[in-house]
Amino acid sequence: MNPLKNAVDRWLGRGDASISMPPMDGAFRPNDLLDSAPPIMETPAPDCLAVTTQGVVVSSERSLFSVDKAGGAPLASFDAEIAALAGLPDGGAAVGLIDGRIVFVGGEHGGKTIEASPDVTCITALAPAQGGALLVANGSASNGPTAWKRDLMEKNASGSVWRIEPASGARKQLAGNLAYPYGLLGEADSVVVSESWRSALTRIPLGASGRSEPVLENLPAYPSRFSRGADNTIWLALFAPRRQLVEFVLREDRYRRRMIAEVGADYWIAPCLRAGQSPLAPTQQGGVTQFGMLKPWSPSWSYGLVARLDRGYRPIASLHSRANGRRHGVTSCLPVDGRLVFCAKGDGVVASCAYEGLAS
Amino acid sequence: MTVAPLSETPLLAMRNITKEYRGVAALKNIDFDLRRGEVHAILGENGAGKSTLVKILSGAVTPTRGDVSLEGQRIQIAGPADARRYGIAMVYQETSLVPSMSVAQNLYLGDEKFFNRLRGTYIEAQQLFQSLNFPVDPTAIVQALGTAKRQMVEIARAVRLKAKIIIFDEPTATLTPEEKHYLFALIDRLRKEQVAIIFISHALEEALEISDRITILRDGAHVITGDAKTFSRETIIRHMVGRSLSNELYGRAADGRAVRRAGEKILSVQNLSMQNIVRNTSFSIFAGQITGIFGLVGSGRTETAKIIAGVTKRDLFHGGDVRLGGSPVRYRTPRQAVDEGVVYVTEDRKSEGLFETMSVAENIYVGRIASHESQGFATSMSEMRELAAIWSKKINVRTLNSDARVIELSGGNQQKVVIAKALVQKPKLVIFDEPTRGVDVGAIAEIHNLIATLADDGLAVIVISSYLPEILSLSDRILVSRQGRIVEELSPGEATSESVMFAAVY
Repeated sequence: MNPLKNAVDRWLGRGDASISMPPMDGAFRPNDLLDSAPPIMETPAPDCLAVTTQGVVVSSERSLFSVDKAGGAPLASFDAEIAALAGLPDGGAAVGLIDGRIVFVGGEHGGKTIEASPDVTCITALAPAQGGALLVANGSASNGPTAWKRDLMEKNASGSVWRIEPASGARKQLAGNLAYPYGLLGEADSVVVSESWRSALTRIPLGASGRSEPVLENLPAYPSRFSRGADNTIWLALFAPRRQLVEFVLREDRYRRRMIAEVGADYWIAPCLRAGQSPLAPTQQGGVTQFGMLKPWSPSWSYGLVARLDRGYRPIASLHSRANGRRHGVTSCLPVDGRLVFCAKGDGVVASCAYEGLAS
Repeated sequence: MTVAPLSETPLLAMRNITKEYRGVAALKNIDFDLRRGEVHAILGENGAGKSTLVKILSGAVTPTRGDVSLEGQRIQIAGPADARRYGIAMVYQETSLVPSMSVAQNLYLGDEKFFNRLRGTYIEAQQLFQSLNFPVDPTAIVQALGTAKRQMVEIARAVRLKAKIIIFDEPTATLTPEEKHYLFALIDRLRKEQVAIIFISHALEEALEISDRITILRDGAHVITGDAKTFSRETIIRHMVGRSLSNELYGRAADGRAVRRAGEKILSVQNLSMQNIVRNTSFSIFAGQITGIFGLVGSGRTETAKIIAGVTKRDLFHGGDVRLGGSPVRYRTPRQAVDEGVVYVTEDRKSEGLFETMSVAENIYVGRIASHESQGFATSMSEMRELAAIWSKKINVRTLNSDARVIELSGGNQQKVVIAKALVQKPKLVIFDEPTRGVDVGAIAEIHNLIATLADDGLAVIVISSYLPEILSLSDRILVSRQGRIVEELSPGEATSESVMFAAVY
């Protein structure tokens, strides 16, 4: 770090101090495919999706529901909110709770609970690893999963990825200093992590050798969970859009600190899962409403976005719910039998759409 | 012979005007009338023949056939002096002032007295500017003025000459809204004084707002003339782009052409800004694909390309980012861009693309010298000849020998030399700016094939063009630029002349 260069960059607004945004074009060209997807169920804050022997399962607050049944039949309830969910190869599921516990439902380890540890307090994603182990993303060392906005505004990079043995409960840290790891995808000898605050996907080797390397950078939104389809393409949910004003606030440290200290989190200049619900929330430049209609191109605080990546993690297509849409804050998506099931957490909707013909 | 009463006689009548360049018609049997005290807008795409038509009036171009009558009398306009004598003045888009002289000297240029009293000239000029409400200092040197003020001087010169006909070629392209307001008030005043105005503009709203009648040209032919009230933006666009012949010459993707899929993202332009010309524009460019950028003249396409290629610089403060292969880059010279595989094939080959008096081989070798493969100061005649032989064959430059001077070549072959000069640098990203401007039809097809081959070979290619059929036929992805910003992205399947033009002018 060169302080002189940093000062010059700050003054000129370039380099690390640049507040430019990657364009939403090419594979990220806007459309309304998420909005045109028929809803499967409406439930408060649907968050995670997984495939188990019960079919496709979605988490909503403290409960698990079956998505395959009309209206969503309840499957299980817990004493804390569900923060992450993973389908396991044996047909069971691993459920990460907001207090840091991991509960196994069905399968080989059904009924088992791994207690919270001080190292893993913010479970954001779970994924099965080879050898029956479980990969766990710990979003932040200082904030819980519901305080993600604070974690962004504090510019933390304290997240980590862990490998946990369900049988013994033994845990091993695979990587640290991650900027809010929010999604995991296991590969043969590595795991790919979505780092939300870096707007990037990073490959972390599972062995002792090798270094972490970026596989996709400079995304136009904050990535969350992802899943692999039968054709080996990858579906990535991006839960909130990056905006110039937010990047600017992130650069202005004094303003940012005062905002955190003096203003309620709902009213921060920050991304959110659903904007426009409170008249007290800050308006933004270009958030144009005419005759009661919000323009789709408005740079809103929330957005709905799912990207399809090829095997090399290169974006090839995307599905959108634009500023005026009703499928914002997509945190999970799952390709099932030619249809993409997704959770719009911001709008409380689980929906699905056919993706045939969408750049395969 | 019966003579029509003066009130019914048009001030200016052009009949069967045809202008051919080497047998190719730029204007075909155009009839055009201009009445006293009317503002007559001439509209059309780039290359429709608007400028050629008004250049005939201003004496810059002589028609191949056809008659021009002024107040019922046939006239011959042999040159600009003739035009001025007949009371025809032109306010050029690219100003024709002498940059090293003062504003007042420019106003009286060609009209000087034997003994000039400079002070008197300045006082007269000051009075003229005050009457026009133009804030221009008559003692200022023209090269120190901005484009808008230079245009004001041009307008003042036309008014001073008490012209009967004033031709405005894109007068508002460089004006601020306030200056535009003054200009329109001035045009209104001139109209009331029975001066006839010809108004050429790409801004359709302006044409609809200010003009009494509208004439639309397309592909050098007259399409329609009518009262401005009878037109809307939609009807104007339809008349401007509704071509038949061009659709036969240029196939569209919707007509069955294969579209290349995007490869790796090579270039990401993020919130790029340069003064008022490039305004917070963002777009991406992918390998193995031709990205066509369409926009009207003045929409900031060329300037954006030049910033990417290091020819011009973006704003110093908050000028945005250009990322090549994911890494931010800021080129101070084109050499740096060439070193990293970015080349720009200029739209102005004569002044920026070639050394006209040098041979084909030397020109191509200059491209090699600029590339990172060049061996420092060492030059090799054998390498130069070898390169010239390879590239002349590869892109079919037709010359008697490689020692032929570029100035002796046709426009098409000159353009091929410019392209060869760029391609010897082994680029990753090639930006073609108006690649077929001033090029004959045969060479256009060859250049199009060459561009397609580059994309097939995996290069990222940008084609900037003002000619819609070229964009529609070549591009795998179409970006539309308007007022310094990319405003629309269209796939070739969904792009039509109307949709692209709509995005470009709305």
